[in-house]
Amino acid sequence: MAQERFADVVERFTSGFAADVPAETIKQWQEELERGFRRLHNLHGLLTNPVEPKTGQTPRVEIYKRNKSRLYRYESARTHRTPVLFVPNLGISRPYIFDLLPGGSFIEHMTRQGFDFYLLDWGVFGPEDNDLSVEECVTKILPRMARRVLETSGTEELSVLGYCMGAPISASFVASHPEVQVKNFVNMAGPIDFAKVGLFGLWLGKENFNVDRFVDTLGSVPAAMVKACFKLLKPTMDLSTNLNLWWNLWNDKYLEGFQALNKWANEYVAFPGEFFRQWVRDFYQDNKLYRDELIMGGRPVRLERITCPVFVVGAKEDYIAPPACVRALIDKVGSREREYVELPGGHTSIIAGRGAAVHCWPKVSAWLGARS
Amino acid sequence: MADAAGPNQLFEQWRKQFEEGAQAWSRLISQTAAAAPSPTPDPTAFWRPVLDQGVQTWAKLFAQTPATPELLTQWKQFLDQWIEAWSKVLGQAMGTEHFAKLMGQSLDQMLVTAAPAKKVVDQQIEQALQALNLPSRTQLTGIAKQLVELEDRIDRLEDSINAKLRRLSEREPK
Repeated sequence: MAQERFADVVERFTSGFAADVPAETIKQWQEELERGFRRLHNLHGLLTNPVEPKTGQTPRVEIYKRNKSRLYRYESARTHRTPVLFVPNLGISRPYIFDLLPGGSFIEHMTRQGFDFYLLDWGVFGPEDNDLSVEECVTKILPRMARRVLETSGTEELSVLGYCMGAPISASFVASHPEVQVKNFVNMAGPIDFAKVGLFGLWLGKENFNVDRFVDTLGSVPAAMVKACFKLLKPTMDLSTNLNLWWNLWNDKYLEGFQALNKWANEYVAFPGEFFRQWVRDFYQDNKLYRDELIMGGRPVRLERITCPVFVVGAKEDYIAPPACVRALIDKVGSREREYVELPGGHTSIIAGRGAAVHCWPKVSAWLGARS
Repeated sequence: MADAAGPNQLFEQWRKQFEEGAQAWSRLISQTAAAAPSPTPDPTAFWRPVLDQGVQTWAKLFAQTPATPELLTQWKQFLDQWIEAWSKVLGQAMGTEHFAKLMGQSLDQMLVTAAPAKKVVDQQIEQALQALNLPSRTQLTGIAKQLVELEDRIDRLEDSINAKLRRLSEREPK
């Protein structure tokens, strides 16, 4: 048998291959190859020349500051008379998640809807703030912030919008300060009944966690420890984040959003020691807010004293504040008008990202708009 | 036909291995459960269906010729499901009273060990800075706290002045 030439082998192989594969499939593979090149190109850029994402671009003015806390007013056409005071979480993370990127910002959405919008930025705390307590936030900081909002907007009433732990804190404020006229109250993914709060409730329970020893030894909760706790809550998060990054790395728009979100997701903020002690003991361990046993600045905090219209938003896949513990506010308030909605998404994706822009923001702005 | 049989055979072998592995896990868990007083959850229950599903999908896809980039999408979906399954398993493990107790005990131990060591280190640093005539962190924190208190006093003064001004303006005849 004569030996076959190498060129013949190649010819036979390639012509056979080409004959079997439909043109559509070849086109699909070419596109996939193109995506592969773009992935490598973007990965190279990400590693060698990482771009600092420009977050928080909605124009704003600082109207008040107290120690680390700042009150910002955002520019808007103001078609609604009642201003909105937005109270996010204290510690854990920075509030620029609510104004991440143009076109993907909750604050931008609210200002475009004509709300006179105010953000309370609690700030980044240092060791000098270790004496700051939840009580001080409720009885000193929030009343001042609310007063500044009313003075600046020239109104007598305001709406309060609490997110995450900002919701129970602001609910405590609204319930114990009847002299401040709150027209509407919105709770977005804020735990109220801490008996139903999930993994954190179990880990921070009295039997498992000695909060006094923790605070007395460390003085505060360092940012690294906050990060470790949140990573532990969902250990596979980093793996799926990186997998999704690789999968979408060819897409420049995705990459821009990822860089901004990733910057936020890795920027943790420490808790002041006394704040953490009271937060864990009164809220997580004794569930005092829900049980009507909380006293702030000598005033009893009773949720039934919230009588303004209340809107509660829970996230279906929220493992930090599961829907049941958020929904609990509805049964406790004394309001005649109260509404609960459960939306798709997790604790963060309910307020930031493409899903939030579709499911959550329009609902919140429509509910508030009709009552402002 | 012969081309499709190759991958199928390979996946059948893999599947068999997974089956055997899962059975071994189940046996091991049931033995431990028999010995232990409390029932142990079956961790294989979570990932077995996912793996089986993934393997079946792959076997089907490889049996098709020619292969399209759809294969990669299927692979991504398989990985997503795999990660989600592990997330559930870990979530269940971390959601037990036992894990919470263990974590609390480890943290307590760390704090009990760290507290005296931290105190000694803090004292030494303080002494060293004092010897160098430099302010310590405690001193700086003290000054920062005084500033915070001063700011608070100014705020209170401002509030009371504003309240008085408001009352005065209300009293003034219009």
